[in-house]
Amino acid sequence: MELEQTLAKYFGYATFRPGQKEVIEAILSGKDVIALLPTGMGKSLCYQLPAYLLQKPVLIVSPLLSLMQDQVEQLKRFGEKRVVALNSFLTVEEKRYALHFLEQYRFIFTSPEMLLQQQVQEKLANMTLSLIVVDEAHCISQWGFDFRPDYLRIGDWFSQGNRPPVLALSATATEKVVKDIHATLSLHAPFEFMYNVDRPNIHLGRVLFEDRGDKAKWIVEHVKKTAGPGILYLSSRKRAEQYCELFMQAGLRAAAYHAGYSAEDRQFIQQQFIDGELDWIVATNAFGMGINKGDIRQVIHETMPANVANYMQEIGRAGRDGKPALAILLYSDGDEELAKFVVTGDLPSSSHVDRYQELALQRIAPSQMLKNGELSETAFRVLDYWLHQEPEERVKARLHHFALEKYQAVDEMLKIIKTKDCLREQLVGYFGQKLQKKPENCCENCGIHYDEINTVRMKEEKKVEMMAWESRLKQLLISD
Amino acid sequence: MFYQILLQIFQKLNNERTVSAAYHILRGKRSGQTIQDVGLFQLHNYFGLLPKLPRATFDEAVSTFLQYSWLIMQESGHYSMKKLGLQRAAQTPTFLFDGWHYRGNEHVFFARLSLVVQSLSYQKEGIRSFSPISKDTQVQSWVRAFLQDQLYQSGHLQQQLLDECLRVFATLAVSESNKQLALYRLSGYSLPGWTWQQLSSERKETVLDSQLAFIELLHTLLNEVHATNNYPLLGKIAEEVRVKALLTDSTQQTAYLYEQGYSIEQIVQIRKLKQSTIEDHLVEIAMNEPNFSIGPYVSYEEAEKVWQASKQYQTKKLKALHEVVNDLSYFQLRLVLAKGEV
Repeated sequence: MELEQTLAKYFGYATFRPGQKEVIEAILSGKDVIALLPTGMGKSLCYQLPAYLLQKPVLIVSPLLSLMQDQVEQLKRFGEKRVVALNSFLTVEEKRYALHFLEQYRFIFTSPEMLLQQQVQEKLANMTLSLIVVDEAHCISQWGFDFRPDYLRIGDWFSQGNRPPVLALSATATEKVVKDIHATLSLHAPFEFMYNVDRPNIHLGRVLFEDRGDKAKWIVEHVKKTAGPGILYLSSRKRAEQYCELFMQAGLRAAAYHAGYSAEDRQFIQQQFIDGELDWIVATNAFGMGINKGDIRQVIHETMPANVANYMQEIGRAGRDGKPALAILLYSDGDEELAKFVVTGDLPSSSHVDRYQELALQRIAPSQMLKNGELSETAFRVLDYWLHQEPEERVKARLHHFALEKYQAVDEMLKIIKTKDCLREQLVGYFGQKLQKKPENCCENCGIHYDEINTVRMKEEKKVEMMAWESRLKQLLISD
Repeated sequence: MFYQILLQIFQKLNNERTVSAAYHILRGKRSGQTIQDVGLFQLHNYFGLLPKLPRATFDEAVSTFLQYSWLIMQESGHYSMKKLGLQRAAQTPTFLFDGWHYRGNEHVFFARLSLVVQSLSYQKEGIRSFSPISKDTQVQSWVRAFLQDQLYQSGHLQQQLLDECLRVFATLAVSESNKQLALYRLSGYSLPGWTWQQLSSERKETVLDSQLAFIELLHTLLNEVHATNNYPLLGKIAEEVRVKALLTDSTQQTAYLYEQGYSIEQIVQIRKLKQSTIEDHLVEIAMNEPNFSIGPYVSYEEAEKVWQASKQYQTKKLKALHEVVNDLSYFQLRLVLAKGEV
């Protein structure tokens, strides 16, 4: 009873959402915890509530500055003043102040980079924390697409003797990633909580093509007949723009979305989609983080994703309102080759290793490679980290191994696409869970009628017209 | 619009420079050479209009110009405009840019304004939580302080800002569609902004052209705001956006010593720099400081000879002028050209 009262007192909620109570109880009993909860399911409450009961500061390590800022602001809105974000945005003066009064905060947010600084480590060593939270813990795994070497570097810090309990949080993680988290953070017999990955209201379609060229026609025909809102996922920025063009020509309200657009433009698109001004987002996998839209009815993959975890996360954006939604995966022979090409595009190659060493010998900063655009930022992070850890040959072997693992992940996805058994059972089984019950229109292999799930698109949606500048100015600032 | 701007710059630098000089001006490169070009050829308006312009975009435009036979280029990058190019340049409208005074800072102004408008728009709906359109923490803390200073909680700020915006927009000598463009880069409660792709396809132009139209509007707006005291809120939002220190940092130090009465030779000693560098600085000062007199270095008669020659031979090339007025040093010639005809 006590927990529910605390929940009501500090957050104004009457009941917990699935998983929260189990996780919080484990933390309060002093256990390390790995909690896998999807975005939008109240992950942060899992450490926010214990902070009020444990009475000592909670340290939250978060890799994304924007995410950190969001959480700080959210806490402040709940009326919490004892919250600080120790990050690179602080001025020297602000940082000194924050460090000096560090034990007086209830919530201390920080980045892995900051945690590596000696003065921060010394300060933390001299105070008692009640809990250490590692947010977005999948970034620890060099396996994940978000690998942050600094997360590995802080591993040592966690292996120290008398540290408080650790809570590792993530939205997606395969068994392998969970193993990495466990090992890197030196967790002691952690309590593991994983949400039920099955989403019975998402129906799983799959369409096979002999000729890759037939997909575009199929997709355009499909979206002209059926209602959105929906997301079409593609494997590259260029294809996203091309498909968006096709959709607009077909009279659909669509916009392309990828990481090449400015932050403002991306936010405009998200807002238009949420406000119902757009029916289709035609995107790379950059779209989806932090999107809270309940009524997404369709998610279509033009080609296979890089791995099962990505696929589940991407289709999981459909039907959050609990109403029926449709996920369709398009596959044509040989798509796995493209997928393998894309997944290793982000990995450094052995020639990158040679180049790095060559530059280092000439006393040129290897980051020059990044400036020249010789490899991606993630690839450089991986390269830079491992070359500081191990000799050249070991790094090359490791990179080769990474590539093989990524290929293997593609093959695992492919196996599920090609199965003649129930798709849902296969997907859920991949995460080590057992399917309880098959819904009607379960999947392509069990039998599915798209028209029983999709609503028919009756007529062209009305496009938003531009208004005169005075009217818009007035609408923004005064009238509604 | 991008092509028109390039034509105008190319016309002014015709026969005198390589095509890259135009690129550096648009990017706002703070090198002695570029700053001098700006002064010599009166290109202040275009300076720093596009600080992030990719070289590839520029090169693409140049090759289009070559294709259209608007100009011819030598291997060294030096170019001459052809008749067709000059005709096209003559047909371009006058733009209202003021790159020299803003240099990309107009985007700081707009980021602040966007966040202020967004905050007020949500506040009028009674919503305190939203995803801020500017992720820049400096902009965010600036706006937070501004809103508190202006007592936004009283709920009157919306009307005041609306009045100022309506007034200032009404005075601007830009088209209605460009005003509309700027308003659609703002967002608020249930009024998302439009992306550059969406706006440019609506306006049937390139993304870059839409962005330039937007920059032009911001420059005229900021100049209007700075010219009077009629816009207290916008004036505050525009604070420190206009560039005050027009000289490069090193030149500023030289200017300081020069004002103290030190000679060129003494400044060379004090600053441990080459004489030619200090001379570059003085040329830059001559260009930007109306009160700087070139009298100590060149007589009026000498200066007049240079102006005459420059006019007669239609050039600002030092080498050519030196052949005509050969009793003057290159430094003296540059000073005269920098100062311009009085």
